[in-house]
Amino acid sequence: MRLFTRARTTVALTVAAALILAACGGETDEPDDGDSVAAEEPDDDSGDADADEAPDEPEEVPEGDIEVPVWIAFTDYRLDWARDVAASFSDQVDGYTITVQGYDNYEALFDATLLAVDQGGQPAIVQYFEAATTEARDAVSGSGEPLFASVEDRIAGRDEILGFPVILDDVVDAVQDYYTIDGEFSSMPWNSSSAIMFSNRTLMEELGISDIPETWQDLEAACETVMSADDAPSACVTWPNHGWFTEQQIALQGGLLANNDNGRADRADEVNLDGEEITDFIQWWADMNAAGFYTYSGTQRDWDGAYNAFASQQVPFVWYSSSDTTLLTEEGENGGFEVEASFLPFNADRPDGGALIGGATLWLTEGLESDVEDVALAFLQYFNNPENAADWHKVTGYIPITNASIALLEEEGWFDDNPNSAVASAQLDAAPDTPATAGVLMGNFVAIRDVVTEAIEDILVNDLDVAERLTQADATAQQLLEEYNLLVAN
Amino acid sequence: MHAGELTLPAIIALSLTTGFGAVTLGRLGLAAGRPRGVAFGAGALAGFVGPLLFMVPLGFCTFGPEAVTADTLLGYGLMAAGAGLLLRLGWTFLDPVAARARAEAADTTTHGVFKGHPFLPWLLLAPTLIILALFLYWPAGRTLTLSTRLVRLGAPGQVERCVTNFTELVGPSRPGLAFTVMMITLGLFVAGSSLSRRADAAMQRLGGYLSSAGVASVLLLLSLLWTASYQRVYLVTLIISAGTVIIGLALSIGIAYLAYQPIRGAGIYRTFLIWPYAISPPIAGLIFFVMFDPSNGIIEHWLGSLFGIDLPNYRQNAQLAQAVVIIASVWKTLGYNLLFYIAGLQTVPGDQLEAAQLDGANSWQRFRYVVIPALSPITFFLIVTNLTYAFFDTFGTIDYLTAGGPAGQTSVAMYEIYRVAIPGRDLGRGAAQSLILFLGVVALTIWQFRSTGKRVSYGS
Repeated sequence: MRLFTRARTTVALTVAAALILAACGGETDEPDDGDSVAAEEPDDDSGDADADEAPDEPEEVPEGDIEVPVWIAFTDYRLDWARDVAASFSDQVDGYTITVQGYDNYEALFDATLLAVDQGGQPAIVQYFEAATTEARDAVSGSGEPLFASVEDRIAGRDEILGFPVILDDVVDAVQDYYTIDGEFSSMPWNSSSAIMFSNRTLMEELGISDIPETWQDLEAACETVMSADDAPSACVTWPNHGWFTEQQIALQGGLLANNDNGRADRADEVNLDGEEITDFIQWWADMNAAGFYTYSGTQRDWDGAYNAFASQQVPFVWYSSSDTTLLTEEGENGGFEVEASFLPFNADRPDGGALIGGATLWLTEGLESDVEDVALAFLQYFNNPENAADWHKVTGYIPITNASIALLEEEGWFDDNPNSAVASAQLDAAPDTPATAGVLMGNFVAIRDVVTEAIEDILVNDLDVAERLTQADATAQQLLEEYNLLVAN
Repeated sequence: MHAGELTLPAIIALSLTTGFGAVTLGRLGLAAGRPRGVAFGAGALAGFVGPLLFMVPLGFCTFGPEAVTADTLLGYGLMAAGAGLLLRLGWTFLDPVAARARAEAADTTTHGVFKGHPFLPWLLLAPTLIILALFLYWPAGRTLTLSTRLVRLGAPGQVERCVTNFTELVGPSRPGLAFTVMMITLGLFVAGSSLSRRADAAMQRLGGYLSSAGVASVLLLLSLLWTASYQRVYLVTLIISAGTVIIGLALSIGIAYLAYQPIRGAGIYRTFLIWPYAISPPIAGLIFFVMFDPSNGIIEHWLGSLFGIDLPNYRQNAQLAQAVVIIASVWKTLGYNLLFYIAGLQTVPGDQLEAAQLDGANSWQRFRYVVIPALSPITFFLIVTNLTYAFFDTFGTIDYLTAGGPAGQTSVAMYEIYRVAIPGRDLGRGAAQSLILFLGVVALTIWQFRSTGKRVSYGS
């Protein structure tokens, strides 16, 4: 009898435990989506606010309608936003329905696209990130045809498509400059951002700093003050070890990452990871780290680590993507501190460069029926019309993509009420028009970025000689670039 | 496949393996009483066909005009390995002892045989075979092909590159040192085995120690065989696997022994202890990630409030990161190990324990000299399963805890394959690495069954 009781207790406890574990399992699945997206691209956040339901279930298509699939690499509130816009577009077009499918990250999305084009069920529009622009342009399907069609080419000079005004010409300069290749706008911009600095104004003033640092040197001096205060925080500044920040700092110093005008005059075949600009930046970074001013989360591309350090007031300064301006500003409002956005600090010794964009564009797949293609093109225009572009900017912090949307926001007084939201666009406008600030185009750039972050991690963690380690990284990256060019030439 | 050609060095090497095969197998065969022609012919055939197993698919590209020294050396290595493999098979075929064993095994067949229905068994096996072919052998074949190419996910085109993917991994950066260690290893094994055959117990023990030193020396030798860039992966895999298995098993046997004591509520303890087994490796990673968080984790909190120690960020320190991965993996496998050890403890013969007690053995001595040997079959089984776990399943834990960092110091072979092939999108190099891991696992399995198997007491 006693044995029986014990067995029953054990069973009950096990069941309870299983339930608890199941509940934990369910919860821990959530950050997964956000993490993997954040790991891949700069313009991501850690606010997985809306991730609790399975958001990437495909939508229903009304009977008789032709489905026009759009695939994007967001699974959070941004997917919901895109779906809302798609639904209102579908309402205005007879016989076609846009469906938006969310993917965990750009690579998964791209691989799925390749498969779908070869095996049927191809999407009309897919989102792909800026670093992979060269890969997207070179991509071919199984039949050897190009995977994507040029958006500008297919618009073919029309002013409107199915009654939707074409807005491609109105796209802001920085974005036009990045995505115009060989004189053609090959993909439709959507989410564009820049890297900016966020300061905890409240904490700064408590620690005795009144001015937002503008240069590396200012930041270093500010950090000295911060860290020598009695109630100093654990560190002064952080940013993710993501290739994008290094690229920003090279561009801010006017440096090039590859030959042939950063790959814009002709296909790049020589990478430059050991130039003065990058060496000086990484050296400064390593010094900031050694002095205890910079804090490294210990993981590459760790957006969440930097975001959380700033949101929990462990550091007064963070470099982050402007795509999260809205969220970061709200963190301050909720946490009782004032968040102020500003330009990314630059090297006072080489002040002549400018900042880069980041983000992704929407690519039109090759081989659609011409009516479907027109619907897709019309949707691309509608998706970025002034109202939608302005709303997208407000919801996220990605820059307003067209001049008309900026005018609309100004008219509303949005920037007066939300000065942080104007910083990224202003930083991009301030950049001179040079190959350095247009951003690099080269093959295997996504993999080369990882070579850079690996080298930086090695330097920060193992205290290696910066120039030596970068020479090594340069050789690895050069091999990657040559291999890519070899594959494309074949 | 590859536009290589049968150059002079290749022909010479092929003649050498053929001659070597004929001589060795011929002499062994003659000694075993086989006809001269059969013995020499089989040897020559094995020595000739073995190298071709590798060289024909590769199209002798390791001897082609574009091949560098490392390629050619690897080519000789592959030819020697192929010849060795077939010669070993040939000897099994000729060896009278093995032949007798085969004949006996055939005689004692007791299971059902389909007489007069030659195709029926194949028909019945077809579902399994088709699935195996489709999901195992075909992908494995594709992996072999990919490993000889430069191919990237999403990039157009593929380029043949012979064995470059492999020479980037295998190729001693210090051949002299590797040779010295190889000689020392051989010496240790020869000395070890000759000493352990002596009658003297002390000498036998010394021989055992020497053999153990030989195993350590093999591990060192292996680490010297890799190129500088892959050596790190080998060492990290070795540290994390050894840590997980040794600490994991030692801890489990100890806890199992305690939990097996007849105390109040033992059933509840045991149930609690088995729980970690129900958790998936990524969740284990997540739990330890939260616990060891350097700014708001519970470990940091305890260390800080109890001892006033600041927990350093384990993600920035190689040894700490490896330690945390090992702790998480040990914790994860603990439940599984306990399950088997607690079950195993029930089979420890009570009369032996009683006899030991009567002889005056204290509880530690009983544990050390009665319980541990009695558990050796289970320990052997757990070494195999835990090593498999450490090799393949720590992936999820590592991905959450450290993502292979800092600077690759927790990137075990399996994680490195993922890192190279999926986020790195380099399918060719990923395929080459996965073949290396495959060979490693094959070698380990053979070694385990040959060495540990002998010392296992199945209590006969």
